[in-house]
Amino acid sequence: MLEIDDLHKRYGDTVALDGCTFTVTPGRMLGFLGRNGAGKTTTMRAIFGLVRPDDGGVRWKGQPVGRADRLRFGYMPEERGLYPKMAVADQLTYFARLHGMDADDAAATTARWLEEVGLTDRAEDKVEALSQGNQQRVQLAVALIHDPDVAILDEPFNGLDPISVTTMTRILRERAAAGTTVLFSSHQLDLVEDLCEDVAIIDRGRIVRTGALADLKAASPHRRVELDVDPADAERLTALTGVIDSRFDGQRHVLTVERDTDVVALLRAVSTDSPPDHFVYTTPSLTDLFTEAVA
Amino acid sequence: MTTTRTLLLIIRREVLARGRSIAYLGSAALILVLLTAGVVLPQVLGGGPVTWEVGALGEGNDAILTVAADIAQDRFDEDREFSLEVTSYDDEAAARAALADGDVELVVVDGESLLRQGAVGFTGSDLQETIQQAAAVTGLDEQLTATGLEAGEVASALRADPLEVTTVEQVGDGEEQQARGFIAYAGMMLLYIALLVFGQWTLQGVTEEKASRVVEVLLSSVRPWQLLAGKVIGIGLLGLVQFGLTVGWALVLIRLTDALPLPVVPLDSAVTLVLWFVLGFGVYSVLNAAVGSLVSKAEDAQSVAFPVSMVAIVSFLASFQVLDDPSGPLGQVMTYIPFSAPFVVPIRVAFAEITVWEHALSALVALAGMAVLIRVAGRLYAGGVLNTGARISLRQAWRSADEVAAGSR
Repeated sequence: MLEIDDLHKRYGDTVALDGCTFTVTPGRMLGFLGRNGAGKTTTMRAIFGLVRPDDGGVRWKGQPVGRADRLRFGYMPEERGLYPKMAVADQLTYFARLHGMDADDAAATTARWLEEVGLTDRAEDKVEALSQGNQQRVQLAVALIHDPDVAILDEPFNGLDPISVTTMTRILRERAAAGTTVLFSSHQLDLVEDLCEDVAIIDRGRIVRTGALADLKAASPHRRVELDVDPADAERLTALTGVIDSRFDGQRHVLTVERDTDVVALLRAVSTDSPPDHFVYTTPSLTDLFTEAVA
Repeated sequence: MTTTRTLLLIIRREVLARGRSIAYLGSAALILVLLTAGVVLPQVLGGGPVTWEVGALGEGNDAILTVAADIAQDRFDEDREFSLEVTSYDDEAAARAALADGDVELVVVDGESLLRQGAVGFTGSDLQETIQQAAAVTGLDEQLTATGLEAGEVASALRADPLEVTTVEQVGDGEEQQARGFIAYAGMMLLYIALLVFGQWTLQGVTEEKASRVVEVLLSSVRPWQLLAGKVIGIGLLGLVQFGLTVGWALVLIRLTDALPLPVVPLDSAVTLVLWFVLGFGVYSVLNAAVGSLVSKAEDAQSVAFPVSMVAIVSFLASFQVLDDPSGPLGQVMTYIPFSAPFVVPIRVAFAEITVWEHALSALVALAGMAVLIRVAGRLYAGGVLNTGARISLRQAWRSADEVAAGSR
């Protein structure tokens, strides 16, 4: 278990972290969410000792994280960076060896990862010759080259085309299934909803929601209702008891309602003769949860 | 993972990545080509016949010109073919016109005076000097002949042997002393040149990781001082190899072409020279790495290069004083300052003015200085890592190193 415990960090008058606490579980993926400047990158840097917290700490398997542990961690920093003039394969081999592999192991692992990220035919090219998306693939391979126990990825999906996103998600799923503790930050909430069992939402340096996504959704006092309805009926819906928010999302009408709202009554209020073609009653989406949490 | 293994990996990467670059191989090749051209071309081109063109006006010039031709012939000896071309003019106007046209360099008038177009340049005029010499000899000859001496006696009086020199002090023979002095002086110059030329490499090299922002990934598995030490050693090795190749090739060329007289260098002096060259190169590389830690882009490296150059220049200039007085207070003090010792110690060793103990202590101080400096550099580097701005102050870097957890230092 990777425990982020009560991290505090202040830069002059700016509070970056103000009691950031959450836990990442091996074999599961945690989506780390927050608005820009909420403290995500600072937290990740603290895990790698690149930022020294004023208070609090990071524990791995119950012990404070030390150098030996970090060699078994993998990191994809927000500030992407590789040696631009070094060949892709050389780069991967170098990082593999820095993490303790011998030359043969490093070469074999490099070949495996080139295959994995689909860059085998670019092995001898310099990194600077690759497209941004391909550079990001190399960056991911660098982070995971040593089969880390913990993978910390800062915005891994940023700027990727849909195909690269698919590759990236497949790899992350495989890693988590293999027992790796995966923590990544993202603004793509749909992706996180799709990919992560757990989430942690940070706001102004403080964790405002964390836990299993399913539990958080179930525990929400709100429910989501989607339906096709004509504008006149929509007006009426807003007035009903238990309806907190009502909006048209471009496709259909979306209501946020109290958890214990009588759905049947709601349905009856709009369907005078026939029920609507589309009607969904469900737990809030991650976007709903997030918006509510950081509002 | 051991520190040594990490260091070796970093050094290996530096050497392979840079050593195979076109910039490195190209500059090495270019230096060798220029060097070869510089030594060989003057030998090839400079071997042709020499012709001096001189004018004569009036009477009584023949004696002087004959002697001048003899003196010049002596000087060029077998190396080059020499001829003195004399043109006689009927009047001064013709002589002046010839001078203006550049037909002759100067005109001898009545064996008593010289006429030339402009002033003698900065490099002097061999012809004018030779004529003056010839005039003096001719004058002396006339006076001696006037005293009634025979021609043979006059000639022998004029060909006196030079004075014989015997050294009183018995510190090896004179030639070896001279060789030692030469090598100490040459060592000083070579180190200074190497620092000026290759110092920039290290300075810019340490900004590489910050500029490419690969530093954050690296520092999650490597300590800042390990990264810096690895880079300093790797880049330093490449610099030493290129410099060694240059100097070695220069020596070979000089030997082959006999362009310069090379003394036979005593072994201990040569060993000291190489040892201190490497130490000096190391000390300044580490210093460059330390100041390089303060900037995050290669373009900004220039702005911090000045203090390092100043230290090198001051040490270099001060060591000229030490050449005059190897065991004076200045020499004593500079022996124990890591930045000046590489210039001073070889001089003191060359003139046998340092004990083995002093020498060893001085080397230890230099090594310790490097070790301390690389740690300091590591701290400054760590402090500036997450600062992607142009440049941070020494104090800022030192302080913000506290921001970085001890684990990664």
